Amino acid sequence: MKFRPMCLLMAAAVAVLGAGPAAAQFKPTKPIEFMTHTGPGGGGDVFARGIAAAMEKEGLMPVRMQVVNKTGGGGATAMAYLVNEKKGDTHTIAVFTGLWFTNPIMRKEAKYTMKDLTPVVRLVLEPAMIAVKNDAPYKSLNEFIDAAKQSPGQLKQSAGSLGSRDWVVRQLLMTNTGASWAYISFPGGGERIAALLGGHVNMMVIEPQEAGEHIRAGNMRVIATVSEKRLPAFPDVPTIQEAGFNVPNVPQVRGIVAPPGIPPEAVAYWEDLFARFIKTASWQKYLSDNMFQDGYMRSAELIKFGDQFSETTREILKAGGVKVAR
Amino acid sequence: MRLLRNGDFVSGAVLAALGAFIIMEARQWEYLGPDGPGPGFFPLWYGIGLLVLSIMLMVVHARQAPAPASRGMGGTGRAFATWAALVVCVALLKVLGFIVAFSLLTLFIVQVLYRQPFGKALAVAVGGAAGFYLLFDVALNVALPAGMLGF
Amino acid sequence: MESFGYLMQGFAVALTPYNLLWCFIGVFLGTVIGILPGLGPAATIAMLLPLTFQMNPTSAVIMLAGIYYGSKYGGSTTSILLNVPGESASVVTCFDGYQMARQGRAGAALGVSAIASFIAGTFGVVGLMLVAPPLAKFALSFSSPEYFALMCLGLAMVVLLAGKSMIKALLAMMVGLWIAGMGTDLFSEASRFTFGHAELLDGVDFVVVAIGVFALGEVLGNMEIREGARMLPVPKGLRNLLPTLQDLKDCRFAFLNGSVVGFIIGVLPGAGSTIASFISYGIEKAVSRRPEKFGTGVPEGVAAPEGANNAETGGAMVPLLTLGIPGSGTTAILLAAFILWGLRPGPLMIQDNPTLFWGLVASMYVGNVMLLVLNLPLVPLFAQILRLPAYTLYPFIFGISIVGVYSVSGSLFDTWMLALFGLLGYAMRRLEYPSAPLILGFVLGDIMERALRQSLMMSQGDLTILVARPMSATMLFLAVLILLAPLFRKADALRVKAIAEGS
Repeated sequence: MKFRPMCLLMAAAVAVLGAGPAAAQFKPTKPIEFMTHTGPGGGGDVFARGIAAAMEKEGLMPVRMQVVNKTGGGGATAMAYLVNEKKGDTHTIAVFTGLWFTNPIMRKEAKYTMKDLTPVVRLVLEPAMIAVKNDAPYKSLNEFIDAAKQSPGQLKQSAGSLGSRDWVVRQLLMTNTGASWAYISFPGGGERIAALLGGHVNMMVIEPQEAGEHIRAGNMRVIATVSEKRLPAFPDVPTIQEAGFNVPNVPQVRGIVAPPGIPPEAVAYWEDLFARFIKTASWQKYLSDNMFQDGYMRSAELIKFGDQFSETTREILKAGGVKVAR
Repeated sequence: MRLLRNGDFVSGAVLAALGAFIIMEARQWEYLGPDGPGPGFFPLWYGIGLLVLSIMLMVVHARQAPAPASRGMGGTGRAFATWAALVVCVALLKVLGFIVAFSLLTLFIVQVLYRQPFGKALAVAVGGAAGFYLLFDVALNVALPAGMLGF
Repeated sequence: MESFGYLMQGFAVALTPYNLLWCFIGVFLGTVIGILPGLGPAATIAMLLPLTFQMNPTSAVIMLAGIYYGSKYGGSTTSILLNVPGESASVVTCFDGYQMARQGRAGAALGVSAIASFIAGTFGVVGLMLVAPPLAKFALSFSSPEYFALMCLGLAMVVLLAGKSMIKALLAMMVGLWIAGMGTDLFSEASRFTFGHAELLDGVDFVVVAIGVFALGEVLGNMEIREGARMLPVPKGLRNLLPTLQDLKDCRFAFLNGSVVGFIIGVLPGAGSTIASFISYGIEKAVSRRPEKFGTGVPEGVAAPEGANNAETGGAMVPLLTLGIPGSGTTAILLAAFILWGLRPGPLMIQDNPTLFWGLVASMYVGNVMLLVLNLPLVPLFAQILRLPAYTLYPFIFGISIVGVYSVSGSLFDTWMLALFGLLGYAMRRLEYPSAPLILGFVLGDIMERALRQSLMMSQGDLTILVARPMSATMLFLAVLILLAPLFRKADALRVKAIAEGS
């Protein structure tokens, strides 16, 4: 009698595997655990809650999406949780950001990479602006670079951590032009802006939404756009490439990732769901309010994009003298 | 031997070791880089501070007679037993979840450490766990640590 | 008086029944989550944010701001009753508040705290209303050297927080600096003291350290004696549960001190309410006529930090509303909320949306009154919790500590850290190390290191940047003065003795 359960299990397995088209219809049956690596109120968290609320409002999901915060390790804790606790779970998805690619490259404590997870869709590209104070002498990126060349190391940029997008932009511009300026890290975006407006630093990379308001108030001037193409709100501000600097574009991305080992039907379900989601009015409004760009990409493309993104980032980090863990 | 019974001496030694460890670790990191102080700058200084001050503590206090133990070892034993129970409870969170692990901790404290009758202990344990569940999980929608059984 | 007219309009907005209701919901929720340790205003606002998309932005901001300042009121409750800091900023309230509770004066402590919160909270709103634009300019002039000097001033407070042994206080402070240094270094991405744990890359959370060292350390210490099963004294009768006239008289200066210090530090985007409450407590003790009584349960030791903590809210609104610059986690979410509602936070927001700004200001006056009315009657009720026998109370503290820590990060690793810090807290108590300096070092360490390194990067290694700027020089001078004060006192004592012996 002992082998009976085993037989049953195998029969069940055969039934599932042999079911073919019937199994291709995946539909969530219980609330979705929607994970983010930032604490409540952080960038990823607000993003996740925004999506969950919009999904509910648009009635696209048969179940609720419950936002869960797994903070720590710059995303490493959340990634480890997906691999160790949620393997094969079709009712868990998470928000990824560029950090999920760069963090494992830089830190040996981060044990898993995006390759250990199932990338689902890319949703957003976040452009940025290079800003200076309104009374700064530089009217263009060229003038800033020239000023930096004239007094190497004297000009300052207020920014985030090493390896962040601010850093990558500076790194690319410095190697491309031979200019150099100081990179001063601040943990919060507010402190970075305060340092620029207070005249304690000369330049920063800022989100377009924030920049817009400071320009309107006459506190700030933007001299270049960090994006593939110019932004509708700033038609006169050239991209870095248009300004004459031949540097690659390293986009800031956000999207959705699932635990490893989920069936292709589930991936397809999420891909289609988000394909419909990005067309909704709520989402379009979200994009335009934040001046984000639509960056929708399906899983297969996203995997290719991720490989390329990791490779570029790794090279830039290495060139910038950062110790690479893997 | 008397020195080992002296809390100041022992804690001083532990902190001196910590200071030495911090200094050793800090030396692996850059002290002054081209852009300014590196990650090793600050730790090195508080590491040195810890080492110097803890040695001062050992020298100054070891000379004085140790303060007479105001509380018996029995008290310390009770405190450590409580702490051990807390550790067991934390270890069980992953397996049994908060509700069960916390009930067991409460049961242990009330019955074993406070020698209350079992019925009372059980009532406090179950009531407490239920209270936490109702307040956090139900009313505030804050997830309590769940175990393998899903609660 | 142009702004008076605006304020009247603001009251017209805030006093509509609809907005009054939202204001009440906000301050009520704020009080509740303030009381519960761990779960803070930032988390609550983030969770409620999606619900506010359907509301009109003015009502929504009135409610969310209510959560923010309401939580500051509630935060002191568990600090006073259980030695469990409800919010990071109310850790200082534990020092004297919990001692008062142990003497059966929990009601008085809670009452003083509520009144201080009301006075300082209102002061913060007045400040926000009257001097926001010039103060925003002041905040911008504050740069890394000033932050470094401010942190030095804060660390100098260790002299005032030390118990019997200055060496032990300094050691505890340095351990605090060490714990603050755990995690990824912002400037170089080097991971420091992570012992290979990815969970430590972001450092140790304040809640873990504060609850472990204060609450668990205290419980473990009390567990030593089974006779602790006897309850703390809770006097009968409503009158004995509220602060006496003498208490309030003792707090006169503390109300003012807390209000001013809290508001000014709140305006600075890089500081925060925990620092404000430490500094205000330090000032209170430094100017007190009975400094030796601090830490044994004096009402002004509760009023000053609680006041600072509440006035900070008004201060933090200044850079948020006038510049669009968030100074703390909670204001950062409010900023995100403004964007989601389609308001454009930034320097022109007040000009663009006068109704929203003045409605919010007016609602904060109303909200503070609501909070006082809501909290004072709760005082006798909460004081009853101490009637619970120890064998019920202590497991309850363990439970609320675990849940509090877990609700912040959702990580079981943090519950292990909590147990570890509980042991540390107990060991410190047994070996007579003061725990306040440890928390002080932990709170200030990170910002201090950062400010120092930013300053030296700005000056390319030139240390004179720290003293060449008038504001930082003044603060550094004050810090040195405070550090040397005990020596002066000692010298003075010797001199008096010498004179006495000589004559």
